[in-house]
Amino acid sequence: MSDEMDEIWALYADDGAQALDAMETALMALGDGSGTPEDRAAHVGALFRAVHTFKGNSRVLGLSVVESRAHHSEDLIGLVRDQGVPWDAEIKDILLLAADTLRAMLEETAATRADVDGATSEGLMTRLLDKIARCSGASGAPETAHPPTAEALAEPAADPAPEPVAATEPEPAPRKGKSRKAADPAAVAEFLSDAAPEPAAEPQPEPAAAAPAETAPAPAPAPAPAPRARRLADDPAYRDIFKGMSTDTRAKLSALYSDDAADADAPAKARREADGLRHAAQQMGLDDWVAALDSYLAGEATAETLAQLLLRLDDLTDQTFGTPAAVAAAENGNFFDAIRGFLSEIASIGTDFSLGDAPDPERLGSAIATLRAAAAPYGFLRLSEAGNTLLRATSAAEYRSAELRLYEELGAIEAVMPDAALAAGISPRALVQSWAAEHVFDTLATLESTLERLRGATPNRDKDHAQLEHSLRLVHHACAHYHIDMAGQLAMSLIDLFSRVQSTGLAPDAILTHIARGFIDTIELVFDALYQGETPDTQNLEKLFEEAANVCFVQDGLMTASAIERRLGLPREFHRVLSPESVRAASEAIEAGHRFYIIRADINEDEAMAENFIVWLSSGLARPITNVTVFQGEATLFDFLIATALDEPSLAEQLARLDPAARKLRMTRALSILQEADEPADLPDTDTDPAAQAAINSGVTPEMLESIGEIAASQSMISHMLTGLADHDLMDSIDAVMRANGQDWRRARGQVRAMLSEFSTRLQEVTQMEAQLVGQLTQLQEETVEIRSRAISSVIRPLETFVQTYSRRNRREAQFSCSGDELPLDITILETLRKLLRALFVMRLDLGPDAPQSIHIAFHRDEERVLAIVEDDGAVIDGSPVLDDIQSTLARSGGEIRRVALPGKGMRFHISLPLAMVVLDGMVVGVKGVRYVVPVDAIRMILQPEGDVAFTVSAAEGQQMLRIAENEIVAIHALASAGQNQPKQAQPQGAGHGTSARGRGVYVVVGAQGRSVAVPVDELIGQQLVLLRPLRGVLSRVQNMTGIALLAGGDVGMVVSANMLCAASGDAAGPSLRM
Amino acid sequence: MPYNVMIVDDAAMMRLYIASFIKTLPDFKVVAQAANGQEALDKLATVSDVDLILLDIEMPVMDGLEFLRHAKLKTRAKICMLSSVAVSGSAHAAKARELGADGVVAKPSGTVSHDLEEKTGDELARTMRTLVAA
Repeated sequence: MSDEMDEIWALYADDGAQALDAMETALMALGDGSGTPEDRAAHVGALFRAVHTFKGNSRVLGLSVVESRAHHSEDLIGLVRDQGVPWDAEIKDILLLAADTLRAMLEETAATRADVDGATSEGLMTRLLDKIARCSGASGAPETAHPPTAEALAEPAADPAPEPVAATEPEPAPRKGKSRKAADPAAVAEFLSDAAPEPAAEPQPEPAAAAPAETAPAPAPAPAPAPRARRLADDPAYRDIFKGMSTDTRAKLSALYSDDAADADAPAKARREADGLRHAAQQMGLDDWVAALDSYLAGEATAETLAQLLLRLDDLTDQTFGTPAAVAAAENGNFFDAIRGFLSEIASIGTDFSLGDAPDPERLGSAIATLRAAAAPYGFLRLSEAGNTLLRATSAAEYRSAELRLYEELGAIEAVMPDAALAAGISPRALVQSWAAEHVFDTLATLESTLERLRGATPNRDKDHAQLEHSLRLVHHACAHYHIDMAGQLAMSLIDLFSRVQSTGLAPDAILTHIARGFIDTIELVFDALYQGETPDTQNLEKLFEEAANVCFVQDGLMTASAIERRLGLPREFHRVLSPESVRAASEAIEAGHRFYIIRADINEDEAMAENFIVWLSSGLARPITNVTVFQGEATLFDFLIATALDEPSLAEQLARLDPAARKLRMTRALSILQEADEPADLPDTDTDPAAQAAINSGVTPEMLESIGEIAASQSMISHMLTGLADHDLMDSIDAVMRANGQDWRRARGQVRAMLSEFSTRLQEVTQMEAQLVGQLTQLQEETVEIRSRAISSVIRPLETFVQTYSRRNRREAQFSCSGDELPLDITILETLRKLLRALFVMRLDLGPDAPQSIHIAFHRDEERVLAIVEDDGAVIDGSPVLDDIQSTLARSGGEIRRVALPGKGMRFHISLPLAMVVLDGMVVGVKGVRYVVPVDAIRMILQPEGDVAFTVSAAEGQQMLRIAENEIVAIHALASAGQNQPKQAQPQGAGHGTSARGRGVYVVVGAQGRSVAVPVDELIGQQLVLLRPLRGVLSRVQNMTGIALLAGGDVGMVVSANMLCAASGDAAGPSLRM
Repeated sequence: MPYNVMIVDDAAMMRLYIASFIKTLPDFKVVAQAANGQEALDKLATVSDVDLILLDIEMPVMDGLEFLRHAKLKTRAKICMLSSVAVSGSAHAAKARELGADGVVAKPSGTVSHDLEEKTGDELARTMRTLVAA
């Protein structure tokens, strides 16, 4: 056995022992359950997790017997934890017995590396199943206090008394020549999961997939019999499994009978087979079978006794599984019973298909015909169509996909016929959910890659949308399996949002992608936690759901519906009714200072009144915002929310004109508009909590709407004034004045002066208005940037959880710490950082024993870039494909990653990413006709030196230097076209180079990283707030520039990077010199 | 041949309004109307070849969500929720999707949808065409 397997078995033994220690500790702490409810819940939770972990480990190593014992123990604890079953002494004793049994099994399996014999723990199984049946009420017998006796503890409990075979529902006999494979729901789930079929012995279907539905006949009246376990034979899932097993065993016994003469070992082999079947029959509670097999095993094993046994088993098979299910279904009209055989058949065909045997068209066609016949009376059109897709499947994968679709359709039928499904003991929905839960990590991976494609220029957008929807539906099923409703609902919300995007033919925008990625990351952690037996943190899901509900408002650039609800104090019935258009109308009405009223209208049956009301609403006197339906008995009424400039008496008068009797139209409420300062004080502090601010104000704020309104007004006014000026031909006016004054300038001078003065005044007004417009635009720019900002912590918190979970999955315990995550960044940069950091963490955590156990990340930000420094104590690496990918991703955005090996052990990664979508205070300068923006914070001084103070330093390869102070010289670095670095060609600017230079050179001295550099410029145009945009395409290769910005006046300016400029200058000439 | 549409809405005005909007679309024709889910189910049994159902959520007798559960099993028609409470991404929209709605369009101003022909009209027509083409 490999070293790896040795290690796995050692871990199994170690973890298993720890889990059982935890189990015993929790049992001792629980005692008789007399503690506080909180303590009890905590101990039961710990108990559940311990057994869950033990079960999971056993499953991984294929120890099905061990797993089954742990599984049923877990089920029993689950009843206490989730179903309100009271903790009692019997449960405690059973679980103590389970702990002892599991510990013995652990020691044995760790030593032998093989599963244990199930017979040695039959007593435990019986007690577990008995207690579970009584606690869950499945047997129909009341749960009674049932303290264990000393004998019960000392000896395994007796097997439950059997029920008459005739009381069970008949099942179809196996069809000659057909597959004998068990076609139970668990087998279907296995098939769907692509796993190799497991032997039928010790089957453990998931509880959800094998919902027991049939109930035993009502117990006899008093005196009540002692509580008794429900037989497994009553569970259709187990019946199907046993049927398959008995068929196989009888076939083997028949073969041994035939070989009896030739094979000396045949009697011993037959005994082993018979013993196995007896064990199964005993578990099932099928006493006739047990008796027949006991009779054979007790006597001498000869060919004759074997023949007798075979005959007896044939009889028992007929008795137990006699009448075909289809006949029974036809009699009782249960749709699900009618398709039971069909389900078995397609599962069997599917199993064969996955093993390489393509379906026999006749056999499959016959099965589908059965389905159609069953569906036809109910009109289940889509189910029949889903069946047809099975016929068209040309590969096992296609068949599996079609089968999944069919089960989804059956799940929809189950939703409208729950009683029939329950009575038949079939739950397709639970099966699909169980399957989806088992494959959720694969589904999430598919989801993520599909999302990536949709964000890009995918050649087949519709197909990708369909894939995305399918994956999200599977996630929804998986969430339903674990009862995490919020997550399931969010998955469906995303389907809705993406479907609406699909109808536009556009790629999903950044906000929707951000929500979808957040969902994938969060749900992955949730399932990880569930897999580990922990309680998942679903807080982030609620936030995402809120974002999803608001996304359409954000996309439309609106205040959110909830903000309007708050400001208007809308009653509860209007909650979540406002559409983006309604919100827009309400916002405009608030801005216009209108009043809001609710009008109750009973006009559904009065067409004339309705028409008049509509005409009135259309007249402009009032504006309908939205309405809700009110049901009053048989009548359907409406509550209209309207906005109007009318006061209350005027509105009443208007309504009275429409409905003089005031019976069908009446104002029920006048709403008061809350000012922002009046909003409830219990809202999160948005000044100090950027995340809360983002959650609440994820739409455009009222201030922004106000700014936009002001800008529109200013622009309109400027336009009006400029038109007036343009229409005014000054020369014509002067000519007219001169003509009127007989061309006498002295007489005309006063009028001309007044005319020019007025013209000048109007020009000044336009200039002032333009300045005001620039200010308003700047404000809007800042507000826009703010709305796109999130604290880095919004990305880091999920990543922290991810690191810890991922590390635990790799059996490590990585500590994660962070600083600087309160800094705000644009969501686009955050998304880039998230992906890069996640890839980096995965790469480091996948280093096995050399993976880091401590990771610290520090964020810094200046005017130009954000820097993330990741430091860990993992192994030193020279490089990796992941790092190459990260490097190329960063390079596309103008960023970079550097790695540094730390002394001893550990690595440090410097990730630098240019900022984008930030507002920058810049000095706009001109050089050779090109506009540049120099960040004001980086400017040390602006010089216009007297005389020639620049000189050349021969030792620095002719680098030109500038004396900026008596004891300091700095390198001169010219901003050549396209930002090319040309230090040696730098020339001090001189006369004729710009209006501001006035014949002398002007230098802007910038400083960064302890260095300074003098930049010669032609023009100093002025200080301006600009929105920094990233460099893309060929521009991304331009040196020493951070980005571009749109300047006032429409020019585009290159934004200078002081860091890069100083670094480049330092490389060429060394740091600035102080003398 | 125009696509056949069924309108299911408890408000007579809204049915009238949607029907008049659909009249402006040459590729669609209203072939049936119903005031609640049960009535719509009954009509589905008699009116054949319905290609598209425009469905309100809040209705008496049988609401739109319950209708969805049943209708999705028995008809090939595409079903589009048209409701003021089914705002994009909302809980109602999510529920409608879960139950099999092929499209969801928010009805902007409830019963009296003056802007139906403007903004929502575009979205509704686009969604209707997307659904029947799928």
